[in-house]
Amino acid sequence: MKKLIRTGAVLAILGVLYALSLYKHAERDAARRAPVALTPGCAEKLGRYGLAADKLYRSPYVLAREGEARPARGYAEDDVRAIQRGCNIIDDTQGELATVSLERWNAKRFIRGSHASCDHCHQSIGDKQDADGNPLKGSLSLGASWVMADMYDRFTGLLLPFELRQMQCYINSSNGYKPNIADDLVRDVTAYSRFLSAALDLRIGNHYDEQGIDEIAASHTLKQGDDYVRGEALYKQKCISCHGPGAQGTVAGGRVVAPALAGPNAWNMQSRNYFYYVSTILPGFICRNMPPGQENTLEHQECRDIAYFLSNLPRPAGDKQGPLTALQQQLMMNALPPLVRMTERVTTKPIQEGEQ
Amino acid sequence: MRGINASARAAALVAAVAGIVLWAHTGSGVPAFRADVRPEPGWERFRADYGISHFGDDGQFVRAVQNGYNLVHFTGRYAPRFTRRTAADRVNACASCHTVDELAYSFVNSDRYDPRFGQRMSFEDHVRRCYAERLDGVVPTVYDPAVRDIRLLARAVAHHLQLGEGAVR
Repeated sequence: MKKLIRTGAVLAILGVLYALSLYKHAERDAARRAPVALTPGCAEKLGRYGLAADKLYRSPYVLAREGEARPARGYAEDDVRAIQRGCNIIDDTQGELATVSLERWNAKRFIRGSHASCDHCHQSIGDKQDADGNPLKGSLSLGASWVMADMYDRFTGLLLPFELRQMQCYINSSNGYKPNIADDLVRDVTAYSRFLSAALDLRIGNHYDEQGIDEIAASHTLKQGDDYVRGEALYKQKCISCHGPGAQGTVAGGRVVAPALAGPNAWNMQSRNYFYYVSTILPGFICRNMPPGQENTLEHQECRDIAYFLSNLPRPAGDKQGPLTALQQQLMMNALPPLVRMTERVTTKPIQEGEQ
Repeated sequence: MRGINASARAAALVAAVAGIVLWAHTGSGVPAFRADVRPEPGWERFRADYGISHFGDDGQFVRAVQNGYNLVHFTGRYAPRFTRRTAADRVNACASCHTVDELAYSFVNSDRYDPRFGQRMSFEDHVRRCYAERLDGVVPTVYDPAVRDIRLLARAVAHHLQLGEGAVR
């Protein structure tokens, strides 16, 4: 009798789990079919690129610039919604503008901090252009990344598919966890990136200037060496007004105004943005994309100095650093900001008094 | 069986398992690891015609494309785990139904809603279905080189044809 009850209990638990999975599956299916509430940025971008369900797609962007646009296969309603959701995920990864977290496929659960969003690196929702509509060099365009995906990646030693690259972004740049390759979260971002490449008429396997980062190696400078003190001074001059003291980021009204560049909300030590892992990428990003509105105004050495300074501030350990480094970084992240504030009070006070 | 003691039975069982593992490892005729890919008939011609050597920065990509070529043309030999087709079957390889150009067009038109299945289908989804249905075999995972390298082959051909997203013939 006892055995029968035990077997019944196990079967009942399995039945409940099965019912729960059916319910969750149906919930996801309903979310796929639901109309998408676009963020203001996505409404503007996708409207400008003429995204609509139709048999053929002709890019208004290409038509306006070149006088004609090749007809491409159009999109079904399901495709349009996937592209819209993908755009929303890039623009608002943390779901600050979403009414329910499922609208962004719970992207937040794959991110540890509260700041990281795809469009912090992939600016202008992965499609940064100047006032004349020209894509900007080294601006991490998602459309250009898609056409150049699947190539050999020298950092991982892999032929890196686009989907796997997205996983790396979640693990390292967002200091988080890996979504499944077939997750809607990944597939929708791929759909959006593919649409961008159609809207800009990019061809498979071609290299475009806006693809990836325009890396800055030490050999691109006067080889003065990267300097923490110069970097800190430049940070205070050029970056602190947005990114705040200690590069901890700024938040207003519950929304991230400028993301953290160090501390618990920043990318981790396994990210390619981390100077000690890859010393050419963050300087390249800074020179080509920062400060907003004044892109390409910093000298190469200045970008390297800022990157060097930022990478010396404490940040989370990556998955390859091990528990001792993780512990050390946690201690530094908690202890250093109050110490720096205290030191700054002590060092700035006499000067103020002296001036009076 | 009663005459055989327990330790002899255990030894026989271990020997049987080891024998099966050895047979599975060596019996397929496919080495566990290959640093290079065997050039099959037609590869050099294909490589020259489609400019494969000029695509990709590294030999890894070209090797993967070569493996993709072998998978498409000699599926039974290069993906024996995922197909039951043999040389005796009329349809026994991807190339029995598709040209490489068609695969490239399929690649740039993938990740779209397919009314036959009532859902959005990726290129990998289609390849896996082909293994399961047309090739009467087993579904590989999406990470498997038997899927990935066909995508890379399609990408290389799409580059040669200078196709963009959604290109129509």
